[in-house]
Amino acid sequence: MGFKTLLRNIKLNTNGWLLISLIGVAVILLPIFSIFVSLFETPNENWEHIKQYLLANYVLYTIGLVLFTGLFTVIIGVTLAWLVAAYDFPLKRFFHWALVLPLSIPPYIAAYTYSAMLSYTGIVQTTLRSFGITPNHKWFDIMSFPGAVFIFTFFLYPYVYILTRSYLERQSGSYVENAVLLGRTSFAIFFRIVLPISQPAIIGSLMLVIFEVISDYGVTSYFGIQTISTAIFQTWFGMYDVDSALRLSAWMMVGVVGLFLIERMLRFNRKYSASTSKSSQLVAKKLKGFSACAAVFFCGGVLAVSFLIPVIQLMVWASWTYGDVVTSAFFHLTLNTLMVAAIATAIIMFFAVVVANVVRLQPNRFSITLSKLILSGYSLPGAIIAVGVLTFFIALDEGIESMLLLLGRESVPLLLSMSLVMLIVAYVVRFMATGYNAVEAGFEKVGTVYTEASRTLGYGITRTFFKVDLALIKGALLGGTILTFVEIIKELPMALLLRPFNFETLATKTYQYASDERVIEAAIPSLFIITVSVISVLLFHNIGKKLER
Amino acid sequence: MSYVNISEVTYTYTSKQPPILSKVTFSIDRGEIVGILGPSGSGKSTLLRLIAGLGTPDQGIISIADQVVVNANTFVPPEERGVGMVFQDYALFPHLNVEKNIEFGLHRMSRAERKARLDEMIELVQLKGFMKRYPHELSGGQQQRVALARALAPKPSLLLMDEPFSNLDTELRSSIRSELRDILKRAKMTCLLVTHDYQDVKAICNREITL
Repeated sequence: MGFKTLLRNIKLNTNGWLLISLIGVAVILLPIFSIFVSLFETPNENWEHIKQYLLANYVLYTIGLVLFTGLFTVIIGVTLAWLVAAYDFPLKRFFHWALVLPLSIPPYIAAYTYSAMLSYTGIVQTTLRSFGITPNHKWFDIMSFPGAVFIFTFFLYPYVYILTRSYLERQSGSYVENAVLLGRTSFAIFFRIVLPISQPAIIGSLMLVIFEVISDYGVTSYFGIQTISTAIFQTWFGMYDVDSALRLSAWMMVGVVGLFLIERMLRFNRKYSASTSKSSQLVAKKLKGFSACAAVFFCGGVLAVSFLIPVIQLMVWASWTYGDVVTSAFFHLTLNTLMVAAIATAIIMFFAVVVANVVRLQPNRFSITLSKLILSGYSLPGAIIAVGVLTFFIALDEGIESMLLLLGRESVPLLLSMSLVMLIVAYVVRFMATGYNAVEAGFEKVGTVYTEASRTLGYGITRTFFKVDLALIKGALLGGTILTFVEIIKELPMALLLRPFNFETLATKTYQYASDERVIEAAIPSLFIITVSVISVLLFHNIGKKLER
Repeated sequence: MSYVNISEVTYTYTSKQPPILSKVTFSIDRGEIVGILGPSGSGKSTLLRLIAGLGTPDQGIISIADQVVVNANTFVPPEERGVGMVFQDYALFPHLNVEKNIEFGLHRMSRAERKARLDEMIELVQLKGFMKRYPHELSGGQQQRVALARALAPKPSLLLMDEPFSNLDTELRSSIRSELRDILKRAKMTCLLVTHDYQDVKAICNREITL
């Protein structure tokens, strides 16, 4: 290719859309990059101490949580998925969507609720005492490692359930029918066919569960479990040692990237892929008598523990406390939450649309790399992103300060790193993928032919976008906006680390109440978060159903 | 010099495959209707896309109405080429009705001019009474005529048609072929159409090129 041709191609591909995409990628990458850089600086004394005495424990507990939660979410999620996909029993249609609901309760809210319910003054022990039974209260100690596994399992299993179920419903029909014809029992079919063929769905959803667990701060800090995420908080808030927090984040990031590579390898080495492109629907087998009862009991039990019981308890508490909690201050903080979430969502959707459009219209190696980079915040725990954003903004502030000094102005220290800008940037980094994936799916469904038609009729890329593309991806855009908005409202660790002084969101307020031993008062903000999430979960479920058709 | 010149155009999808178009050269005179024949996968549609500016050839020169639209150091974007295109599945904008679809490319005209041109087009393709319908409310043949009217409305210097009959029933085809031929003649359009069916070429085109 000659130089002039190269020039022509660069000119052809350079436009406002690409420039905006580059800005978006920079916003996402700079904080992540600032963490990476810290790996090459000399550590302070504190770090030596952490490394020698604490790090092994942090890593051990993190891995332990991941292993046990992973194991149990797979057991519960896959069993439920198989039950609902392959069998017909009373209330099955209800369980089909209702088993998704626990996803709308953030694990930290579940942890606060269950620990208060099981405490000495909680409903469980008081009820038992009123019957004259005084149990050993150690039996109800949920604030422990097994307790954390319990909470994570019951409030994260829907990831495994959703992905595995829809995979089974779409893919497994003919295999299962064949196995039945070959005289296999249900039990054998489950272990010899269902588990192996749904491996990709299980691994994919397991990754989501693992990312949630390692990212968690709310549950582990409340239960006093030392994970890497809580350690980042402690070195930051407890020791005011941002350097060590940064270093911890960097190592954790290395771990996450490693995990990511393992997942890629597992997917790449996947031995099975459908030998026929025709996927037949699984025909549900009718359960009768005892087995039907057992199925209803199992599904109902899981749903009760993971949704109904905590929600009912929260409602009761809310009815006790609404007079004290619902004040003008509460409205103020609700408004805060919605406003910050709205701003961050708007920024995310803007960049998501621009980058997705560039990738769609100029699908070359450069733009595809851009799209991969812009998603890189998704798999990183909130604490890491928070540390990265803070480091980046402190550096930026120092830059601004020295520039102001050069210009002979008075210095304004910590201009940006005390403001809401930081929190919003962190949200953008973390949740860009949520918005982007929705927009990308929308564009994929529409294809490029309408855009091409518009261009042959005399419209450039930008005017085509506003006259044609936007109208066609409206639904996907709305879906992505709602999902992103809700994710941001639920988010806890980044809000805790990066909020400006005296700024509260619903999530941080819930945390605040819980750590002040006023869990009951957390009911109203919790219910608010759950309600918004339920709407988004149900919406997502419906969208998913439409896509499957 | 001819009205449209395609000179030594080469195009490769991926570097691992041999080029799908290799040094394709031909020209079209003004007002001529030329058919490109070839089996599927022979690069016919790709050639149309390169002429419309929806893709960039690896090598070669394309000029339309004495203007070079692509060579080693120029690339005129599709919106400035003055080329109309009827897509294989018509690509009528699903969110716009017939009237708005046809008017879509007339944004450079004044309101009065636009109205006049719209009426002219509706008359040409005989779609009176269907102006407010949406694409999904039309039959295949009607959709094709809307697509044709939309492409012709901005008075392109060249009309490209990608398998214009592939979505139509066989009974409909022969009547629509002659209809299309009449419309193109009346509009004095220079036209390049792609098809795998020799009957199409025989009925409509002055000349054929086989890829």
